[in-house]
Amino acid sequence: MEYVYALIMLMALYVILATSFDFVIGYGGLISIAHPVFYAIGAYTSALLALDFGLPIPLAIPAGAVVALLASVAVALPSLRISGDYLLIASIGFQLGLLEAIKNMAWTGGSGGLTNIPGVSAQSGGHGPYVVVTVLLAIGTVLLLRWITGSSYGRAISALRDDDMAFSALGRNGMMMKVGIFALGSGLAGLAGGLYAHYFRFLAPGQFGIMQSAALLTMVVVGGMRSIWGPVLGAVVLEALPQAITFLNLPPSLLGPLQGILFTGLVLVFMFARPQGLIGGGDVWRGRAVREVRDVARP
Amino acid sequence: MSPGLEVRMLCKRFGGIVVADSINLQIPAGRVVGLIGPNGAGKTSFFNLVSGIVRPDAGSVTLGGVDLTGLKTHQRARRGLSRTWQNLRLFSSLTVLDNLLVAPRLYLGESLTALLFGAGRVRRAERADRERATAILERTGLADIAHMSVGSVTFGQQKLIGVARALMNDPCCLLLDEPMAGVEGQAYQTIQRVVRDLAESGIAVCVVEHNVAFIRDLCDEGVFMFAGRVLARGSVAELIADPRLTELYFGT
Ligand SMILES: Nc1ncnc2c1ncn2[C@@H]1O[C@H](COP(=O)(O)OP(=O)(O)O)[C@@H](O)[C@H]1O
Ligand SMILES: [Mg+2]
Repeated sequence: MEYVYALIMLMALYVILATSFDFVIGYGGLISIAHPVFYAIGAYTSALLALDFGLPIPLAIPAGAVVALLASVAVALPSLRISGDYLLIASIGFQLGLLEAIKNMAWTGGSGGLTNIPGVSAQSGGHGPYVVVTVLLAIGTVLLLRWITGSSYGRAISALRDDDMAFSALGRNGMMMKVGIFALGSGLAGLAGGLYAHYFRFLAPGQFGIMQSAALLTMVVVGGMRSIWGPVLGAVVLEALPQAITFLNLPPSLLGPLQGILFTGLVLVFMFARPQGLIGGGDVWRGRAVREVRDVARP
Repeated sequence: MSPGLEVRMLCKRFGGIVVADSINLQIPAGRVVGLIGPNGAGKTSFFNLVSGIVRPDAGSVTLGGVDLTGLKTHQRARRGLSRTWQNLRLFSSLTVLDNLLVAPRLYLGESLTALLFGAGRVRRAERADRERATAILERTGLADIAHMSVGSVTFGQQKLIGVARALMNDPCCLLLDEPMAGVEGQAYQTIQRVVRDLAESGIAVCVVEHNVAFIRDLCDEGVFMFAGRVLARGSVAELIADPRLTELYFGT
């Protein structure tokens, strides 16, 4: 049972991470692969607030999300002001720099990792509700992003991505929007981080590096950029299948590499079978409002 | 006559190239001014400077008496300055209607907080905008293709969409960059009529165009630009008749 819970947790967390990353890179067109660093900020903030300051977990997790959001604004504002391309470099620099700092500080557990994070204990039967809440938050994230991308804000995001110069010449504050998109996506990653920290109760900087970036990017691309359900499917399939073979009770020396091969193999199969992603996003934005009007207009 | 757009001592150079050399230009409200000059004269650069896309080295821009000089592009647009683009710059992943719907001067939908905490207000504004957009599409003859993707319509229609999108912006001053290039027939007539109507409703219009017939029929006056400088201003007929300008225009 514990194992199934852990698997569901991971799938739910990756749904939050992949859909929020798609919101930033797919919908927003903001080229950054540093999404895991905001996942890390949410996780470490929430863990340390609970561990060192005794903050209750239900408060620590949202606090972690808020800190991740604020950190993302601090990265995005100056770099977007210089140029859109600069965000990629600045955010990777931030990711590597912060992880290096975490590695070298005793307070954060260093490279050995942070242990004894307060969590819900399995004995008291607390895991079940925690998993349910996490799954509900994942569903909530998907519905929120679906609502936003289909709203008038979603229309503006599409226009901004297509041509930010024409966009601003119409009176739109493209810069504010880019920061907003980046902040919301990063804040959601921070939320996932807090949820992770108090369930698995162990954090190490290695979990949030470039490999994690690559995994998230893969989920988004394989699932289908700029679609809501694509990254959901990508997260579930690419997280679930490699994990599921743990059931086979293989020796660890075999299991690790086999999981890696399975992940890569799945990616290759999907890429060849459906280059546009499992669920390709439409080329033309169709908001809900537009659909309504068209239906009314039809005889 | 109300002040319209006023540009004073506008200067800009890119390295060795002077694209704006102390340009003084006034476009009164309700007038259509044609900006004429050979390729590379600095006409598009002038629009970029006025709309805030490019920062000038010196000079000022005011619209209706309001100083725009220090403002960013989107702030200038919110004060009534609109433009179209020589290379269209339509939003390719949006339908024709949606290209207009992101273009009102105030668009509540661009604010995430307005959306999250005032969804009702956003929806009401959206409904009003849609009515206005539909009216503009009717007026520009684009109503039939409202729900098509902008990539799938003819070039002439795309040019019209660029103008319609600028109209949605409800400008006090409109800068049109080569609206007629590659346009013929129906779209040609429509653009001509729309620009005329705009001027009559009190908007200051500046048109860059190589189509002499269009300029002559439409513009109240012309401005001749060469190498970043305004060389002459007068009736279009006068400018065309000036052999010195004709020589500059066609090169030697
Ligand atoms: N961003 C820029 N950087 C360098 N040179 C530029 C830039 N924009 C325009 N120019 C140069 O300025 C001159 C005027 O260009 P432009 O304003 O596009 O002319 P026009 O619209 O009258 O044909 C050209 O020589 C062009 O190469
Ligand atoms: Mg030009």
